[in-house]
Amino acid sequence: MKSILIDVFLAGAVLITIISVLGMLRVRDPYQRMHYISPPASLSSFLIAIAIFIQRGLKPESFKALFVVCVLVGMNTIVTHATARAFRIAEVPDWDPEEGEEVPILGGDEKVEEERG
Amino acid sequence: MNVWELAAEVMIFVLVPVAWLACKGDPRQRLVSFYMAGVVITLLMMLLTMAFNRMPMMDLAITLALMSFGGGIVFARFFARHLR
Repeated sequence: MKSILIDVFLAGAVLITIISVLGMLRVRDPYQRMHYISPPASLSSFLIAIAIFIQRGLKPESFKALFVVCVLVGMNTIVTHATARAFRIAEVPDWDPEEGEEVPILGGDEKVEEERG
Repeated sequence: MNVWELAAEVMIFVLVPVAWLACKGDPRQRLVSFYMAGVVITLLMMLLTMAFNRMPMMDLAITLALMSFGGGIVFARFFARHLR
């Protein structure tokens, strides 16, 4: 039973990683491509950590794996945001939306009409 | 071959398309692929640690995850300032 669970969790982790990489191959836009980093960083690492916990029990290496999961999840959110912001700054001089530019946060958002000094 | 080794070998082959993506396209696309490679290699380190039953090697995965974080932030800052 224990080995079956480990097999299932590892297969899930590897499958999620493969699907994410195939998704990266499919899309061209770097902003869209960034979304595909998230599943391996969060789901796959978590599944591998669970498999390590099942295999080794409450040993130091299990908690190290859990720490890696925490680092990957935190890193993914911060680095992805920082990178998207850097791309935006590299494209336009300012990080803020330009006049008349629609910010795609929500579908129903109104266009930014503020005056710039 | 145990299941950890099998998972690690599959993960190594996953690196091939990521490396290919990191070598082509504009710098933005390559940078994103570089981040993906960091995540995949970190997972690979965890799997290899279990496959070879060398538990201190888990420190390598921790180190790589932390260094990828710092490197990612530095690359993002560099990109915003110099690669316009």
